[in-house]
Amino acid sequence: MAERSAQVTWQGDLMSGNGEVHEAPSGAFGPLQITWASRSEDEHGGKTSPEELIAAAHASCFSMALSLGLAKAGNPPERLETSATVTFVPGTGITRSALAVVGHVPGIDEDSFKAAADAAKDGCPVSGALKGNVELTLDARLAAE
Amino acid sequence: MPRIERHANVVWEGNLARGTGRISAGTGAFEDLDYSIAVRVGKGTEGKTSPEELLAAAHAGCYATSLAGELTQAGSPPGQLEITSNVVMDEVEGQGHVIVESQLRVRARVAGVDAEAFRRIVAQADEGCSFSKLIKASAKVSIDAELEG
Repeated sequence: MAERSAQVTWQGDLMSGNGEVHEAPSGAFGPLQITWASRSEDEHGGKTSPEELIAAAHASCFSMALSLGLAKAGNPPERLETSATVTFVPGTGITRSALAVVGHVPGIDEDSFKAAADAAKDGCPVSGALKGNVELTLDARLAAE
Repeated sequence: MPRIERHANVVWEGNLARGTGRISAGTGAFEDLDYSIAVRVGKGTEGKTSPEELLAAAHAGCYATSLAGELTQAGSPPGQLEITSNVVMDEVEGQGHVIVESQLRVRARVAGVDAEAFRRIVAQADEGCSFSKLIKASAKVSIDAELEG
């Protein structure tokens, strides 16, 4: 079992208040500032948001699952470049996480790579938590050599 | 209604057991965070983050804005909210690793709200927090909330 935690301090009302994600217990990031304006408008002013943190969690989880699947099938990756884009509609909620991956994987064909990526999209623990509640999409390609 | 998009990038090199990855935020708020499987499922963190730590930060941040919004709407905007999220990933037989729970701890300094109203607002904020809704496919959300001072 693995447990990870994070702490946020929020001050004031929603529209004019602001929050701080404390330095991560691991020490890996933070403190990070958050506000409603930077979360709910296109202009983010360099500030993170829950949606960006979910994107980071999803892209990192998916990459691990894909590296495992590829290695199990005998084609460990040299390099995977993954992005996740999370869509937030204020008033409605989080509607989509779109994964895109470019793989540098010796000795694999495009179809096998796409199948492995599809399995990772369905099987990684973060996808497992989100599944059914949000649209999950995937664009998987091999890098042009 | 506007659609807001936020993205993050990951570069992963190598197999799962020995490989490592780096995580960067589209906004630039964080960059090149190292992670690996040993740290993700191990006890020690060695200064490295993990998907679950990022989820914990997302949940605490999302719940904080949701609770601030609900309190404001109820006519009692918060002075200060302290929110901690603890995300638990467990190995479930037949399913592998599963994110099973996010435990929220809430300590709130709010003028003009009584204990009963506060309890109701805490539950509304969970319903209104888009992240709480999102992870309920595999995880339960528990909330330990206290009104201070």
